[in-house]
Amino acid sequence: MSNNSGIFERFKKESSRAWAIGWKDIRAYYISPPTLMFGVLFPFALFFTFTVGRNLSIDEMLPVLFSQTVFWASSTVGPVVIPLERRMKTFDRYLSAPMSLMSVILGKSLAGIFFGLLVSILPLIVGFALFQVSIVSIVPFLLGIILSCVAFAAMGIMFASFPTKSVGNIMMPLNFVRIPLLFISGIFIPISTLPPLGQALAVISPLTHTLILIRQGMGVETNTLPMEASIFALLVTSVIFLYVSKQFHEINRKRE
Amino acid sequence: MTHAVKAENLTKKFGEFVAVDHINFEVQQGEVFGFLGPNGAGKTTTTRMLTGISTPTEGNAEIMGYNIQTQAFQAKEQLGVVTDLSNVYNELTAWENLIFTAKLYGVPKGARAERAQELLEKFGLFDVKNESVSDFSGGMKRRLTIAMALVNDAKVLFLDEPTAALDVQSVRIIRRLIRELNATGTTIFLTTHNMNEANELCDRVAIINQGKIGVIDTPENLKQTIERVHSLEVIFADQRPSLVDDLKTLQAVHEIKKIGEKVRLYTLNPPAAFSDLFDFIVQHDERILSINTLSPSLEDVFLELTGESIVERPKQGKRGSKAGGR
Repeated sequence: MSNNSGIFERFKKESSRAWAIGWKDIRAYYISPPTLMFGVLFPFALFFTFTVGRNLSIDEMLPVLFSQTVFWASSTVGPVVIPLERRMKTFDRYLSAPMSLMSVILGKSLAGIFFGLLVSILPLIVGFALFQVSIVSIVPFLLGIILSCVAFAAMGIMFASFPTKSVGNIMMPLNFVRIPLLFISGIFIPISTLPPLGQALAVISPLTHTLILIRQGMGVETNTLPMEASIFALLVTSVIFLYVSKQFHEINRKRE
Repeated sequence: MTHAVKAENLTKKFGEFVAVDHINFEVQQGEVFGFLGPNGAGKTTTTRMLTGISTPTEGNAEIMGYNIQTQAFQAKEQLGVVTDLSNVYNELTAWENLIFTAKLYGVPKGARAERAQELLEKFGLFDVKNESVSDFSGGMKRRLTIAMALVNDAKVLFLDEPTAALDVQSVRIIRRLIRELNATGTTIFLTTHNMNEANELCDRVAIINQGKIGVIDTPENLKQTIERVHSLEVIFADQRPSLVDDLKTLQAVHEIKKIGEKVRLYTLNPPAAFSDLFDFIVQHDERILSINTLSPSLEDVFLELTGESIVERPKQGKRGSKAGGR
């Protein structure tokens, strides 16, 4: 009994400290120029670059916009914040604070998750206000957005685990992965038109599952995987990204 | 009684480079323990291992009996850490910095504001509590960094070069605070290369050089270990060029240095040197403006142990290396 209460107490402490980190990042970094550029301007600019003049219907365009904003916004905050904090040595504060490394990583992910949710509201407002968008199935739609925010925030944190003090050193390899993902996940090119290798890669891309769930939520016909498979895929990728982040940080502590 | 800090064979290697080499020491509860060494000696690396920021390659460290690796949560609850840089959040105000740190250390919600106000007042920052820290001077940021380390009433406070590059006012505030904290039972682990500071504040000092601890003792005991640096410091009214050569005739003096208008006479036998000097003054009809006898300073001990020409080891590259340093 006392062991259980001890574990519960510890869990409470770890959660409140992780939340403190997340909230601090939200307060401090949401309006920083790199966050706005890579998290807000970039997805909208890319969206318009690839959709304007292609004669797509609004039903086809909005899921792409939702997926893109969630993808870019969530995965941007960690790679902006962590190198800055390494440079200022404020990251050391977390390492010497009474909390586990996983709580630090989860706290850092929280800011990305909420940023993704916040930015994804923009296309939702546009969709409701201008195009009478209707959400046919709320569960896949919400899970698609929320789980994707978690997965992509964790992805950003994983890349930010590389021990550098420069935001550019993280953004370059991250974009090297993010941009190709747009082309193999059905965002700009339908998966069915990809070569076999592209189609196989699409299945393991979390962004594919974001798009599947959002399309299902918006009632856009999609003859791909069932909802449960996409939810599972996003959960698994989140866990993998978080685990790899933790391992990278452990290695950094040994090497620094 | 449990030691406040204990290091056992603590080692840090960056590739082939051994930054800290199997060091052992214990810090008693309530002690001010100075950790001295030249740049690159391994001071900051040791502090980072003791505070859980960096993982040792070998060995163990304990804080109040808790292992910093295997019982990290409990060990870190005992700590306050001031790193060698003022690592404050420039994007937040002074108040927000303190409240955030209080949350990180689990200070109860009801006590956070009171503690933050108390610390801001103590460090002379209360009037600027709502200003962004990015506008603060270096001294103000340093004071805020120390205030943040005190927010959880730490039992053991690690201070890495707390007064480096600060104005006199800030240095005085910080030194006074170290004494006050120690008087209330806080153990202080003070990393510095300021010998006067160590001499003034520390109960014991450890001198580390090239990753190894040379000696651990009280400042007074250390000073007594080197006899050769007793000296007489004299200011002659007549600062003629031949003065130093003339003084070389003094039998009991083995080394003479001209430092500005002062002449320092090093001796193993201060009374004999004084007697020789008195004879010299009478013989040459010198007029003396002042004479002081100087005991060996901690700086002399430091130089004796680390070598007159300090070997500053190069900082290693990013992938292998010493973290910290200024």
